[in-house]
Amino acid sequence: MLLIIKRLWQVNWAEQWQYRANLLMYLLYWLVSPIIYLAVWTSIANVKGDVNGFTANDFTTYYMVLLIADQFTSNIVIHTFGYKIQDGSLSGELIRPIHPLLTNGLVNNIAFKALTIMGLLPIWIILFFLYKPDFSGISWTGIALAIPAMILAFFTGYLLSAAITSLAFWTTRVYSIHEFYFALILLFSGQFVPLTLMPQIVQDIAQYLPFQLLIYYPVQLILGKLSSAQIVQGYVMSFIWLGIAWLFFTWVWRNGVKRYSAVGA
Amino acid sequence: MHTLRLLSAFFKVNVQMALAYRADTVVNILLNLMWLGWELLSLNIIFNNTETLGGWGIGELIALLGVFRLVNTMMIALIWPNTEKFNASIRDGSMDYTILQPVNSMFLVTFSRITVWRIWDLVLAVVLMVVGINMSGDSITALQILTFILLATTGTLVIYSLWIVLIAMTFWFTKFDNNVTILQALLDAGRYPATVYPVWLRVIVTFIIPIAVATTIPLQALRGDLTLASTLLFASIGFISFGIASQIWKAGLKRYSGASS
Repeated sequence: MLLIIKRLWQVNWAEQWQYRANLLMYLLYWLVSPIIYLAVWTSIANVKGDVNGFTANDFTTYYMVLLIADQFTSNIVIHTFGYKIQDGSLSGELIRPIHPLLTNGLVNNIAFKALTIMGLLPIWIILFFLYKPDFSGISWTGIALAIPAMILAFFTGYLLSAAITSLAFWTTRVYSIHEFYFALILLFSGQFVPLTLMPQIVQDIAQYLPFQLLIYYPVQLILGKLSSAQIVQGYVMSFIWLGIAWLFFTWVWRNGVKRYSAVGA
Repeated sequence: MHTLRLLSAFFKVNVQMALAYRADTVVNILLNLMWLGWELLSLNIIFNNTETLGGWGIGELIALLGVFRLVNTMMIALIWPNTEKFNASIRDGSMDYTILQPVNSMFLVTFSRITVWRIWDLVLAVVLMVVGINMSGDSITALQILTFILLATTGTLVIYSLWIVLIAMTFWFTKFDNNVTILQALLDAGRYPATVYPVWLRVIVTFIIPIAVATTIPLQALRGDLTLASTLLFASIGFISFGIASQIWKAGLKRYSGASS
């Protein structure tokens, strides 16, 4: 198995490296929103002194850490896998004795992440010197606690996206469903603004959903803004949602593959 | 006249193509409304915490959202579908047939695909602008409305020209098929007034990928913030960039050698 994964890694790394120009464009595309939100909120905080207790520096550190956390926890499985179900090219992968999404697809995503993080690093350093955030509130304990949380969040997010992508076995409108899912992430993850600034009802719902685990929870962990009770609660939620995502994915996949009709074969 | 007849023919063909996918159209309109809801909610969250953003009130930001949606509609209804067709035609050589036709090739390449249902988005954009301006309570003269329309048109022309330049690059670098992604990437910067951005970002969105020229600046004209000199400057930039873009297109076309033959 280890050897298989090693080979898959080599193939997928080479494939992603081949598309490095696309990858850079994707990175740029993905960077713009957080930078705009950062500009909007720091400009408000600078005028008013603070926004509900958030100073300009709080916003800068929030979005700077968000750039890293989001890159660790997000995935692109809808783009790399959805079309395979629709155009029938999944057939070749299905006859292999390994799970297409849990081995090849996963390795492909991780190779993609490794490359985008390499691309993000110099940009992040430039942004660091442009904004000069004060990171004195960050502790190594926070970072150490955030790493397992981000790994859990990545797998939860990956399984959820993989399940949604697998809906392509039933419907051709899987991209519309994904767009809706993406809007849920935007609303409940803390991507637009730290969740405590969202309307109360959004915050109440967000605590029970997996989306805040993708961004808000790891960012707050790194920034050292959580009490021990909140940290424990976050970890409990991480494991619960990982379990739910796993059950959801295996159920969708098992039923979906039965319906697969191998278009074009 | 000839051009208008062609445009209406393109339009008819595209309506027929859209009618084949009616259910998709309904889903797309629902998603579009969902994003409008999100955009208004995010403005609401911002203005719960402040009265002004970069000197602009909520009414003005709603109007800006309308202008942004005009540009965004052009991006989705025109730029994306035509670019996809164009990139494919360079790869497989079907560009040959486009050039053979006795019509300006730049016009053919940029207007033959239109995502028709997006037209309703234009209506929505105008509604947002009218509502936003009413909410802002600014008194607007007819002259300001005229400069706004002029600058919105020339701003759109700037984006259109940039698009031509980006896709013309494909003549030189065949593998350059994510040519318009950079335009899409920076488009979101048009949602907020460029005055809130730090200087380096303002320079990028005004001069390099000039999204702000089509969004922030026309709205500044509407508020009466622009001097006559800068109005004329921005208007002429539109025509100059169109001139440059057509020259680059012609130069690129000369390099096209066909892929199939």
